[in-house]
Amino acid sequence: MTTTMEPRTRLRTPAALLADRAGETPAKVALREKYHGVWREITWREYWDQVETFAHSLMSFGIEKGDRVAIQSENRAEWLYTDVGCIARGAICVGLYPTNPTAEIEYLLENSGSRVLVVEDQEQADKVLAIPAEKLPALEHIVYIEHRGVDTVDDPRLISWDDFMDAGRRHREAYPDAIDRCMDEAEPDDVIYLIYTSGTTGPPKGAMLTMGNLVFATELIMNEDALIQPPAGPKDLLVSYLPLCHIYEKVFSVLIGIGAGSTVHFGESLDTLITDLREVQPTIMQGVPRIWERIHAASMVRMASASPIKRLNAGIWLAAARYIGATKVKRDGRHSFLSRILAGLGEVFLFRALKDRSGLRRVRSAISGAAPIAPEILEFYMGIGVPLVEAYGMTENTAISTANPPDNVKVGTVGPPYRGTELKIDPDTGEILVRHGAVFVGYWNMPEATAKVLEPDGWMHTGDVGEWVDGTHVKIVDRLKDIIITSGGKNVSPSEIENTLKASPYIKEAIVIGDRRKYLTALIGIDYEVVSEWAQRRGIPHTTYRDLSEKPEVVALVEKAVKETNDKFARVEQIKAFRLITKELDHEDGELTATQKVKRSIIESRFADLIESMYR
Amino acid sequence: MRARLLGEVLPRAGGNDPILEIQDLELSFQAVKAIQGVSLTVHDGEIFAVIGPNGAGKTSVFNCISGLYKPDSGSIRFGGQDLVGLKPHRIANLGVARTFQNIELFPQMTVLDNLMLGRHRHLRYGSAGAMLRVGRAIREEVRNREVVEAIVEFLELEPHRKSYVAMLPYGVQKKVELGRALATEPRILLLDEPAAGMNLEETEDMARFITDIRRELGIGVILVDHDMRLVMDLADTVLALEFGRPIATGSPEAIQNNPDVIRAYLGEGQRSATIPGGTT
Repeated sequence: MTTTMEPRTRLRTPAALLADRAGETPAKVALREKYHGVWREITWREYWDQVETFAHSLMSFGIEKGDRVAIQSENRAEWLYTDVGCIARGAICVGLYPTNPTAEIEYLLENSGSRVLVVEDQEQADKVLAIPAEKLPALEHIVYIEHRGVDTVDDPRLISWDDFMDAGRRHREAYPDAIDRCMDEAEPDDVIYLIYTSGTTGPPKGAMLTMGNLVFATELIMNEDALIQPPAGPKDLLVSYLPLCHIYEKVFSVLIGIGAGSTVHFGESLDTLITDLREVQPTIMQGVPRIWERIHAASMVRMASASPIKRLNAGIWLAAARYIGATKVKRDGRHSFLSRILAGLGEVFLFRALKDRSGLRRVRSAISGAAPIAPEILEFYMGIGVPLVEAYGMTENTAISTANPPDNVKVGTVGPPYRGTELKIDPDTGEILVRHGAVFVGYWNMPEATAKVLEPDGWMHTGDVGEWVDGTHVKIVDRLKDIIITSGGKNVSPSEIENTLKASPYIKEAIVIGDRRKYLTALIGIDYEVVSEWAQRRGIPHTTYRDLSEKPEVVALVEKAVKETNDKFARVEQIKAFRLITKELDHEDGELTATQKVKRSIIESRFADLIESMYR
Repeated sequence: MRARLLGEVLPRAGGNDPILEIQDLELSFQAVKAIQGVSLTVHDGEIFAVIGPNGAGKTSVFNCISGLYKPDSGSIRFGGQDLVGLKPHRIANLGVARTFQNIELFPQMTVLDNLMLGRHRHLRYGSAGAMLRVGRAIREEVRNREVVEAIVEFLELEPHRKSYVAMLPYGVQKKVELGRALATEPRILLLDEPAAGMNLEETEDMARFITDIRRELGIGVILVDHDMRLVMDLADTVLALEFGRPIATGSPEAIQNNPDVIRAYLGEGQRSATIPGGTT
């Protein structure tokens, strides 16, 4: 609490920390952005200058504390200027996914009542301009970053980023201290982000995170014994590539980037991710299972198509990697004498080259989150010396719940709760509940939904079923609502089976079916790139995704992977039949959420015939 | 940092003056009359389409403009200068850039190198300067790379910069060829079937590129394509050819309803039909 006697200390929000960094190390590199094929450097002074200017722009256009400012863009420096600029001003930043189609944009803008929308380019501008203006009465300004194709459109709400920022510069000249005062007035309870959870059921809900949540989360992540050891610092390099509207990427690009003073990199596009990673060679790498699976699959494919001698070498050292991985799994992430020697040799003969190619050579801390990852994948990375650990969190708790510290890993768990947080498992339902300073304050304008999740005493329902392992680590069983109860009365966790299936490089999607049915079945989607490469090597001609999925050879290939998965599970948990889906699941077709999670109910109705055919 | 518009790195054409004027073009191969009495005028900022059934002489017109064929008679005036009789490289140097129906790139070179080659006519240093890497050579390389990078960004070729052209999918090669034409700083762009063999998404991208080029550079574009939907969407003016003879010139709507054009496409007795909308 502050007293009237002393000047109150400024809340250490990302904006305040950024202003400090700009004062302490103005000429050091804060951000790098690949532009026209060259990495351009942005110093802490420039970073803060842009953020402060954006905040002034908001003021000059009459955006008040608590007003909503939305942004729809791929990751780029302007996103951070908008995000942290909102924090400096005290406005609420609403992130939209670049893949959100028009109908969802309309819902999100309308629900949040956003007054300003920053769009990246013509593609995003077209979406919002397709919505009749009267349906979005709150929306006053659409700020476009890229001019191409937008600067000739006639709409009074449109303004270019450059003009918007110019207004901020003029405002700063007239009122140089205005943003300083805004930051002094920031209170822990001020809402600062509306983060819409994509929701595998129902419409998206805007989770409200506060200044206090961010301050608490930043301090916790920088702890000595948290997931990055030693804690992130100015020498660390990050690549920002997961959607910045998601809390996961915000933790790295904003909280760690500014909080630790690490350098955040923006590559050219998602298509160039591997090239960008290879050039940056980040020291900290955050990823979702899909990314880790993709890098793993790409390495395997590359080695399979190498010369016989290289294949032999790879075969030997991958076997060694499996041994090292298995040893580390057994020893909670630590080496044995033999595994340490093998790792040293393997580094020379294979691992270093392998990691270099994938941009993981310098990674000292690798994190997988947002969805469960297959143990086989974790083991592979541990084997080749990428310290990949699993962490657990969600939007509603600023991504802070549990994390495996690298020296105390239990594979299959998401680690122990952070120091300074509370976590309990409901003895009746098995649901995990958490309570700490980064737990959100509720859903925007949805008191009923909030009441379902937040207890009056501060405990938050995660919706995940978990159990304790060795009394310290938490294992996630599944989403509470996804648990399958077979007609035999057995409780089965589909995601565990699905992840084991997806550990096969050939399988991209797996949906296990079986609720109130006699046995389990699965819908499986192949990984087009990998299977296509496989088919080419065997001289199997194919054209489209559908065509490839219907090849008997491909069905046999998947059947083998299903059989291997079945061998790892008890009888009731085995897949008795499967079908290949003949289209790639897509966010825009409503089959995946914006974070690429499968929407079970949609899949089950869309592929109802296919499912029924497995129970005849 | 925001992307550069093409007009910020390449010279823009202003206004809508006539840039290319063809009068009574005639071309024959021995007894075969490939082009008979074709006249057309293309203005700055205009998208001009040439359509017609196979063998109607569309590509022959392009080859006459770019100097690969020498017409028997008629005039081709480009920016006031007569092109007839000039060698192809001289015509290219005047600012006439083209792409080919069957992609003519250097397959064993990277995308970047193919694009940099498009800058060849703007190099002002000699071999000795290049070898010694004197100041001017370096300055010009940097400037040319800037232009090429803006084109890479425009055509979304970032993932392929260092890929060999031969390894790239067909649709990407088409983009590279368009990029090389742009790199020459054209005053007029001749596109021979830019969307042939492309899927729907690639065709839509190509249509967007063409309209953006017109908007950002203000140059004239002559387009030949079989995809009627693409042609009718993009073109300001359409010239329909049949057996080397012009049968109609006008707006896309007028051409679509022109009985002679319909007959040329569908044969006699189909007067009530319209030109097919999809790829033919």
